[in-house]
Amino acid sequence: MSSRRKRGAAGANDGGALAFKKKLKSDDEILAKVAKLSEAEKKKPKESVTLQDLNLPNVSKEVVDLGAPQVISEIEKTMLSVAASILNGHGFGYTIPTRTSANQLYVPQLDRIVLKDKSSFRQYGNMSTVRKTAITTRILQLIHQLCNKGIHVTKRDLFYTDVKLFQEQGQSDTILDDVSCMLGCTRSSLNVVGSEKGVVVGRLIFVEDGDVIDCTKMGVGGKAIPPNIDKVTGFQSDAKFILLVEKDAAFMRLAEDRFYNRFPCVIITAKGQPDVATRLFLKKMKSELKIPVLGLVDSDPYGLKILSVYMSGSKNMSYDSSNLTTPDIKWLGVRPSDLDRFKIPEQCRLPMTDADMKTGKEMLEEDFIKKDPRWHAELELMVKKKEKAEIQALSSFGFQYLTEVYLPMKLQEGDWI
Amino acid sequence: MPMAGGKENGGAASKAGKVARPVGKKHPVLKQKSPAEFFSENKNIAGFDNPGKSLYTTVRELVENALDSAESIAELPEIEVTIEEIEKSRFHALIGLVDQDRVDEELYGDFETDKLKEKRLAREAKEQERLAKAGKKAKEGQRAGGKGKGDASFYRVTVKDNGKGMPHDDIPNMLGRVLSGTKYGLRQTRGKFGLGAKMALIWSKMSTGLPIDIRSAMKGHPFCTFCRLDIDIHKNLPNIHKHEKEPNPQRWRGAELQVVIEGNWTTYKSKIVNYMRQMAVITPYAEFVFRFISTTPDKNISIHFARRTDVMPAAPQEAKYHPSAVDLLLIKRLIAETSKQTLSQFLVAEFDTVKKPLAERLIGEMGPDFASKMAVRSLTDQQVARIHQLFRQAKFADPSGDCLSPAGEYNMRLGIMKDLHPDMVATYQGSTQVFEGHPFIVEAGLSLGGKDVKPGINVFRFANRIPLLFEAGGDVITRTASKRINWASYKINQTTDKIGVFVSIVSTKIPFKGTGKEYIGDDIPEIAAAVKQALQQCCLQLKSKIVRQQQARERQQRKRNLARYIPDVTRAVFEVLDTIADSKRRRTELPPGDAALLEKVVSEEVTEETLRQKLTQHVEQVDNEMALEYAAQTGKVETAPETIFLRALDSKRAFLPDLHSPVCVFRLLAGC
Repeated sequence: MSSRRKRGAAGANDGGALAFKKKLKSDDEILAKVAKLSEAEKKKPKESVTLQDLNLPNVSKEVVDLGAPQVISEIEKTMLSVAASILNGHGFGYTIPTRTSANQLYVPQLDRIVLKDKSSFRQYGNMSTVRKTAITTRILQLIHQLCNKGIHVTKRDLFYTDVKLFQEQGQSDTILDDVSCMLGCTRSSLNVVGSEKGVVVGRLIFVEDGDVIDCTKMGVGGKAIPPNIDKVTGFQSDAKFILLVEKDAAFMRLAEDRFYNRFPCVIITAKGQPDVATRLFLKKMKSELKIPVLGLVDSDPYGLKILSVYMSGSKNMSYDSSNLTTPDIKWLGVRPSDLDRFKIPEQCRLPMTDADMKTGKEMLEEDFIKKDPRWHAELELMVKKKEKAEIQALSSFGFQYLTEVYLPMKLQEGDWI
Repeated sequence: MPMAGGKENGGAASKAGKVARPVGKKHPVLKQKSPAEFFSENKNIAGFDNPGKSLYTTVRELVENALDSAESIAELPEIEVTIEEIEKSRFHALIGLVDQDRVDEELYGDFETDKLKEKRLAREAKEQERLAKAGKKAKEGQRAGGKGKGDASFYRVTVKDNGKGMPHDDIPNMLGRVLSGTKYGLRQTRGKFGLGAKMALIWSKMSTGLPIDIRSAMKGHPFCTFCRLDIDIHKNLPNIHKHEKEPNPQRWRGAELQVVIEGNWTTYKSKIVNYMRQMAVITPYAEFVFRFISTTPDKNISIHFARRTDVMPAAPQEAKYHPSAVDLLLIKRLIAETSKQTLSQFLVAEFDTVKKPLAERLIGEMGPDFASKMAVRSLTDQQVARIHQLFRQAKFADPSGDCLSPAGEYNMRLGIMKDLHPDMVATYQGSTQVFEGHPFIVEAGLSLGGKDVKPGINVFRFANRIPLLFEAGGDVITRTASKRINWASYKINQTTDKIGVFVSIVSTKIPFKGTGKEYIGDDIPEIAAAVKQALQQCCLQLKSKIVRQQQARERQQRKRNLARYIPDVTRAVFEVLDTIADSKRRRTELPPGDAALLEKVVSEEVTEETLRQKLTQHVEQVDNEMALEYAAQTGKVETAPETIFLRALDSKRAFLPDLHSPVCVFRLLAGC
């Protein structure tokens, strides 16, 4: 099951690091704790609580996946009322849910951010909103066209259909999210997808638009996560866990060392801040395979922020948080307490900048951190020591220290929180 | 500065036979340095660091002297400054050298061997090529090799004023002796050291060896004095070449000084022109004519700064020392010089804010050794020290600042408008403030836009009504303007707007920093706070104007902006309508209102054009409503501004009787 390499060949030079290597048991024993976690995950009843069940006041309805005909009819309804309003001489406008941070709410029962019910009327006859209203109208028409033809385009494509009006992609992207909110459907229902960003590799087989994809045979680069997730079906896997990696570099190392063959797992990364497709994919994979997700991120506030986006969603996309979030992610590493435990040398630790400190202190107050005292303690330690470290800091003991010592050690001890 | 607390070395004082030191007991080895020697060796202190700076400082010292002279007799200053470049051969003729051809070329520093010459030619050719490529004329390239290193440039600087002139007999002493000035009291003065023209004289002596020419006439005198002298640096005495009276048929009054010095026009041209320009800003009641005469006529410059007002600030008054601003040495000096006999009289006469009752209380506080009737000259050193100590601890009223002469908001505004032609200007004069017993007043002006103004913050600094041009970085004004003013909150963009910041500080003591006294330190909280407050006041004045201007601009753009997106929007809406209309299946599922609308689309009763017209109408309606709202808010109706012209006055015109009001007088033209 594993292509075992001769231990000690990785050129570890530190007494402490070597000591850890000696503590490693056989691979089966290492896997024991993960396997147990995996079993428990499989037995867990499917999460049944939804936003509707909670019946919270002042919360907006969550968006749902809509088929093309429904989207078309929603747009037509809107456009007909716009036309009628223009013909009556009243100009026109759209009522759009506000997506600012003041209109966000963290719901502990669901463990994610949802949108409150505040909305604003965006009208044409106003200097400050005329531009946005014009762009909204144009986007509605473009989506109407897309849904009628049944094709998908990327956000970039959408932007290029009317560069003169949109001016920059940020503007059309923002309005696109507004339109999703307004129509009450997910962004993928609008037939607009982001460009490919995330990659996946490991013990996973799925079907994409009829083609069977075997992620063990994807080389070291991995399989790009398809932007339109509705075409992905039939997940199969013998993996014990999903390893969520923050960065491309660590992903490369894991893929090249065929980590997933030694310890059966699926490795996934979004190369930094996760895009919608990667989050959708992770959510779908987790709920179908029912295996735990272990997170491997940098030991800095930014790494935690990325975990938080996977777990409780981003503020920008909170209207669709139910489809995008994977609440139960275990924080495997690199945790602030690991720095001393694994004796990471001083020169690999970086002092936190003022901005880091500010983010760190702010996060200490966030519900997402506060709900788990162990997470809170780790972040407090980071802020107290004012030190951060990247996953790559582990390379100071040799390039393969991550795959051959650090991760096996963590798994063996069941050291996740 | 060694001279700051120096003895009154003035001619009158030394003639009175007061011997300050036992000069007779001089040790034979000890060499005494005359003040002139000290300055010639430390000329950087007075702003004579290099030839370029020396030219600049010479001009400024002469100009400031001229201004002082005219202002001292309340005459509106008219000042002519001429800098004349002197050719090498002419200069040699002046100093009596014959132009000699070089025989032994290799002897000279700028000799180039054939190899070097080849290199230079190659480099120049390359440079020319580059310039030609860039489409520029290769003007500079030709000149590069022209001037050798050893060639100094010489200039004749002439400054002529309409001031009070100098008494015939005093001229040699007034100019030929360092530290023999009139500027040694406590008073707001332009000069930094009170050296004025004398440093220029020393510099001319050092660089060219040529004497200076002075022409001067006083009011009512039938003659004009011509004097040619230089300075004996070791003896600190004037060395008179010529001192004679010439006829003055036009009854001209004023002074003209002419020096020939080494300088560098190329590098200091902008500084000198800038200085003149800023001087014109802060002194709009003066008329300046500035000329530069080059050896090549196309480089000649002639600038005329016209007078814009005849309101002149009152001359600064001599002030008494404030008790909290004196040191031990100064008290002793005042005791030595006072005409008063008793201690009480002395305190009242020599110190600011000390009245008789306060003097008695102070004397009572000094201790049993003191009495108000005791002779002031009988005080022992310990007693003087006690007075000093008490002055430090006691509380005194702040100096009134009446002795100061700020430029005035009116003059400052005119000066700024005259030379910058800004779009907007605001001025503010702060109240008198005090630091360490010295009164000071901060005046500020703020301009937006204008010609020859760079985008960003342009700081114009003035201390005692002279411009400060060097070492702006550490200056309290520069730092306040760039760091402590939140420009954005006044709707001013710090990087793109053309901001002119003018701050003038007047005081009996300007706390200069740096060797050349080129800037005012940022370490006096009173001054920093006053500068900030003055600038903020100006910003506030401008803010309302800017907001009004922005609203007006917005109003103009509103309609255009609202109309801009009409085609985009109507096309999009209509395209969707058209698509729905085409698919018959869906039309039946719609509510009746929408179905009727679609019917109209099919029958082409409603087209894209219909939508466009309706939306355009709506936009016009919105625009009118907003214009009404604006008019209701501001009480103004939008009408196009009309240009009106004021007729120039001339002597032939008759006036109606004056109409008097408390603030002004109207004088209407008759027959209009």
